[in-house]
Amino acid sequence: MSSWMTGFIGLIRYRELARNLVAKDLKVKYRGSVLGLLWSLLNPLAMIVVYSLAFQYILRIPLKNYPLFLITGIIPWNFFSGAVIASSEAIIGNANLLKKVKFPLEILPFATILFNFIQLLFALLVFFPAVFWFKTEVTPLILLYLPVLGLQFLFTLGVAFFLSSITTRYRDVRHLTEVALMVLFWLTPIIYSISMVPGKLQLLIKVNPLAAFITVYQDIIYWGRLPRPETFISMVLWTCLSLGVGYSLFRRRQRVFVEEL
Amino acid sequence: MAKLIVEVQDLWKSFCIRHNRNDSLKERFISLFDGRRRERREIFWALRGVNLKVAQGEMVGIIGPNGSGKSTLLRIIAGILHPTKGSVIVRGSVAPLIEIGVGFHPELTGQENIYLNASLYGLTRKEIDRIYDKVVEFSGLEDFIDVPVKNYSTGMYMRLGFAIAIQLDMDILLVDEVLAVGDEAFQRKCLAKMQELKERGKTILFVSHALDLVSRLCDRAYLLIDGRVAMEGVAEEVTGCYNKKVPIQ
Repeated sequence: MSSWMTGFIGLIRYRELARNLVAKDLKVKYRGSVLGLLWSLLNPLAMIVVYSLAFQYILRIPLKNYPLFLITGIIPWNFFSGAVIASSEAIIGNANLLKKVKFPLEILPFATILFNFIQLLFALLVFFPAVFWFKTEVTPLILLYLPVLGLQFLFTLGVAFFLSSITTRYRDVRHLTEVALMVLFWLTPIIYSISMVPGKLQLLIKVNPLAAFITVYQDIIYWGRLPRPETFISMVLWTCLSLGVGYSLFRRRQRVFVEEL
Repeated sequence: MAKLIVEVQDLWKSFCIRHNRNDSLKERFISLFDGRRRERREIFWALRGVNLKVAQGEMVGIIGPNGSGKSTLLRIIAGILHPTKGSVIVRGSVAPLIEIGVGFHPELTGQENIYLNASLYGLTRKEIDRIYDKVVEFSGLEDFIDVPVKNYSTGMYMRLGFAIAIQLDMDILLVDEVLAVGDEAFQRKCLAKMQELKERGKTILFVSHALDLVSRLCDRAYLLIDGRVAMEGVAEEVTGCYNKKVPIQ
C-alpha cells in the first residue's frame, strides 16, 4: 500500500509538471489552427449527425429524441477511446524526458488522461445545452453525473497504466487496442439501448465495463431514472480492478522503462 | 573531510542485449513456432563493481574510453537507471544530466521548454518564475526564446539545457561531455559558472574526454575501463596515466 501512497504524493508534488504536460499536448495538437480546441468537437459532431441519419432515419431505431440519446453515450465514449489510444504513447512518446530526469512516471499516463478529460469537459460545455433543447425537465439525478464521470476517469486511468507500460515492450499493442476499441464500441449500448438487446446477448454486454458507465449516463440524463444498484456496484468493481491491475503492473515495470525505450 | 554526498559501493549494472529483438506481439507469436526467429538474449555488464565516493563541494572527473560505463554510472547516480547489484547513496538533490540534446520538446518554444523542464524537478510555477530571467540571461537566447526549439542549433540546445540545470539550485550537478558543442566564449562562461558553483559548496561530477579540462578543473578523477575503476586519485595524475592505461586500438 505504501507504494500507492508515494505514487499519490508524487502526483501532488509534481502537479506543475502535469499542468505543463497537458499544456504541451494542447499546444502541440492545436497550435497553428485558428479553431484550436474546436476541432476536438468535430469528431463527436460528425458521429452524432451521421449516426442519427443512419440509425434514426434509415434503420429506424425506436428511441425518441435520438440525437440526445447519442450525445449521452458518445461523449463519454470518445473520452475513453481517445484516452486509451493516447495512453499507449504516454511512456514511449516522452522517452526524451524520462531518459534525462528522475520524476514520478505516474505523471505521464495521468497527464494523458487529463488532457483527454479536458476535451471531454469542453465537449460537455458545448453539447450539454442539447439536454434543454430536447427536453425541458432536468431531474436532480443530474447531480450524479460528475461523480460517475470521476469514477470513469479513474477506470480509464487504470487502463492507461496498463497499456502505457506494456507498449514499452510490445510496440504493436497500439494496433490491437484500436481493434479492441472498435469491437467494444459495438458491444456497448451507445447507439442502441440496453433494453433492445435480446436475452442471450445481454450477458455479453453486461460483462463490458463501458456498458455499465454508459447505461448509467443514459439513465441519469436521457431516461431520468435512478440507475440500478447492481450497475453502480459493477462500475465501482471495474474501477477497482482496473486501477489495481493497471497500477501494480505499472509499478513493477517502471524500473525497466528506460532500458526498453 | 566534508560529508560524503555520493557513495557508490560495489555497483554492478547489466543490460540485456536482445539480438533479433521481438518487440511486437506479432513477432513474439511467430517465434513460438519458428525457433530461428526467437529472440537471443545476452547479458552485458556495463559496470562491474564500481566504488566511488564524492564529498560535498568536490569536483570529480570521470574519464575513460567510449563504452567504459561513464554515462551509465551518471545515469544511475541520477536515479534514471537502477543498479543490478550494489548500492548507491545520494544525499542531496541531483540536477539534470546535462548531455547533448537534453529532454526538450521540439514543437515548444524555448520559454515553454524552460517551464516544462523545470517542472520535471518538481518546481512550482512561482519557483520557475523566479529563476526564469536568470536562465534566459545565462543562455544568451533572449532573441530566440519564443521560437520552437526545433529551429535551434545544437549549440543553442546545449546553452538552454545548461542554463536551466545550473539555475535549479540542486546539490549535485552531473555534466556529461557537453561543452564540446558550445563555442569558445560559452565554454568559458560555463566553466567559470561551474567554478562558482563549486565555491558555493555544490558538488560536480564531470564526464569528459577533454583530459586537459579534467586535470585543470577537477580535484580528483576516476578512470573507468570496461566497467571497472582502473585508477583513481588526484585529477592530474589520473589524466596523466590515461594514455598508459588505455590501450590504443
